[in-house]
Amino acid sequence: MKEQISKKLGIVETRFPGNRKEYLHAYYTFQDYGQIWGMTIFVLLAASLLPLVIMTIIHYQLIERSIDTESLLRTERLASNARRAVTFFLEERLDALTFTANEMSYRQLSDLTSLSTVLKNLKLGFGGLTDLSLIDDTGNQVAYAGPFSLEGKDYSSQPWFIECQKNNACVSEIFLGYRDVPHIVVAVKSQRPDGRFYVLRATLATERLIQTLSSFRTGEHADIFLVNREGLLQTPSQHYRDGSQHVTIPVPEYSDRTKSLMTIDNQGHPIAVGYAYITTNIVPTTFVLMVVKRKESMMKVWLDLRAQINWVFGVSSVIIAIVIFLTSSFMVNKIYQADREKAKTMALAEQNFQLASIGQLAAGVAHEINNPLALINETAGYVRDLFMIKQQYKDDQELIEHIDAIIDAVERCGTITRQLLGFARRFDIQTQAIRLQDMVDDVLNFHKKEAQYRNISLRVNIPDDIPDIKTDRGKLQQIVLNLVNNAFQAIDDDCFLEISAAMEDPEHVELVIRDNGSGIPEEHLSKIFEPFFTTKKEGQGTGLGLSITYGLVQELHGTIRVDSNVGEGTAFFITLPIEVDKEMQS
Amino acid sequence: MKQPDILIVDDEQRYADMLAKRLEMRGLQCSVCYNGQTAIDMIIRQHYSLVVLDLQLPDLYGIDVLTEIKKCRKETTVVILTGHGSAQDRSKCLAEGAYAFMNKPLQIDRLVAIMSELETSANEGTDK
Repeated sequence: MKEQISKKLGIVETRFPGNRKEYLHAYYTFQDYGQIWGMTIFVLLAASLLPLVIMTIIHYQLIERSIDTESLLRTERLASNARRAVTFFLEERLDALTFTANEMSYRQLSDLTSLSTVLKNLKLGFGGLTDLSLIDDTGNQVAYAGPFSLEGKDYSSQPWFIECQKNNACVSEIFLGYRDVPHIVVAVKSQRPDGRFYVLRATLATERLIQTLSSFRTGEHADIFLVNREGLLQTPSQHYRDGSQHVTIPVPEYSDRTKSLMTIDNQGHPIAVGYAYITTNIVPTTFVLMVVKRKESMMKVWLDLRAQINWVFGVSSVIIAIVIFLTSSFMVNKIYQADREKAKTMALAEQNFQLASIGQLAAGVAHEINNPLALINETAGYVRDLFMIKQQYKDDQELIEHIDAIIDAVERCGTITRQLLGFARRFDIQTQAIRLQDMVDDVLNFHKKEAQYRNISLRVNIPDDIPDIKTDRGKLQQIVLNLVNNAFQAIDDDCFLEISAAMEDPEHVELVIRDNGSGIPEEHLSKIFEPFFTTKKEGQGTGLGLSITYGLVQELHGTIRVDSNVGEGTAFFITLPIEVDKEMQS
Repeated sequence: MKQPDILIVDDEQRYADMLAKRLEMRGLQCSVCYNGQTAIDMIIRQHYSLVVLDLQLPDLYGIDVLTEIKKCRKETTVVILTGHGSAQDRSKCLAEGAYAFMNKPLQIDRLVAIMSELETSANEGTDK
């Protein structure tokens, strides 16, 4: 799949291989395409992702801040509402007691029956009252109405009684009292006609208060409870209670209004704490209302939003990265290919230029040498004639041999100069239609015996649909023969030589002569078409074979290139026009 | 004295002389000249069976000399012998009526062979 995509986008071939053909290296505009590729991706990624990252971070911070603000606000609101409810609960009962104390005389209240009636009515009207008692200024309970038998108790030392004396009313902490049942005492002080005071006291069951409070609890980790100023829990707390019924969060400092703050609980969770010191309009209380909410439970919406942002960020980053990766790969690959084409063309141009200059030089040298060579030839020939025809030294074999050696040497020089001139010069071309298969068969016929003897397999793979090409038969034959000769010298016994052909485009055919012989070292590849370049021992090769082949291919308006790996073999690719005449006209 | 059969035209005097000597050793009569104009004059004056003509002459182009020769003595056989003949030169010369186009250094036997060919065909001509 990945390969298909890469292929479609043109990210084919290699990822800018480091082992580029050494001779092309100098012609590249950029040296390290891997680095350029990496840099491009890095710069593009940085440029496009950095703003996104910054935006996301800012967004995060904004969210964080709004979460805090919003949490505090909500906790405070909740605390405020709960405070109102608790205050109202207490005030309502204090008011009811005040009303009763004002409405009824001390005598009426001290009458047990009427006190029971009052309790019944209060229960009906307000509820939450357990009992009602009348206490005189010495702290003695004068009358009691309620389910327990508490008459005659002395309350003079009870803190609520003392406080009530001082403040004219009181709301006690929640305590167990004589009955061992948690309750709150609310009491109001009133004057008797004789100037002494009495206290009307009611016990409030805590259930109603606890119920009221828990009705405000929302969310899993929300906790709402009352503590006294020392931190002793007055109503149960679900999460913030220690073994001694103390709250595990420090009680905030006194404030006359509802407040909220951010802190961390003993388990390390960030929490928002809303609190209010409960004060009724008649008397202050020791209650502190606390609302505790875990931040994370309030952040649900925000966390969802953050998750969405994360998703959007993640997905868009991935898309951007993929797009950048693909575009950069595509573009850098295109540049690389263009550069490689340029490098190839430049290398070829330079090689052509070099070969042309060498050709001119060679032709010049050949030109100049040829005349003296001819003279040597004739002179040596003349001397030989003297010996042979005039018979003066006919029997002196040694002399004759020397002369023959001179003539032989001249002949060899003559061959070289002729070849040199042939390399440099463009000859006329006589075109005729040639069937490649026949031509290749002809050439291979020369080598059949040798191939059999050396067990070299000759493979010809020329499809039937390759059309006849119109070109110079002699030259083409010479080209193929030269290359086949070369291959035969390069391959060991039991190797193969393959000649194949394919249409490169409708106008050109590509002929490939491939062997699996010893191969050509990379440093030689760029020089093999130069005249006199040979790796053979001195005297064994003129080094002109491939340069002549090169010249011949040029004459046929073709191109020749070589691909070789040491130890793997060599392939010569010859591209020829189908019709050389057409090529010449254009 | 027998009329010389062959005229060697070459600006390289020693080469021309040497070639002439070698041909004479093989029983062929040779004349030598070293420039184009002299060659044309000589050919106008006298018939040669074979003219061995260099393409590079000090005064004229060998090909022009060939054209001249063919103008005044169509029957004269001309062999071009050059140090650096291109295929164009070859085809031009052959088109102008040269009998053969040879490159230096030369194997003298080829010239001798051509002479004997000429003699044979001449004899056949006379026989007819």
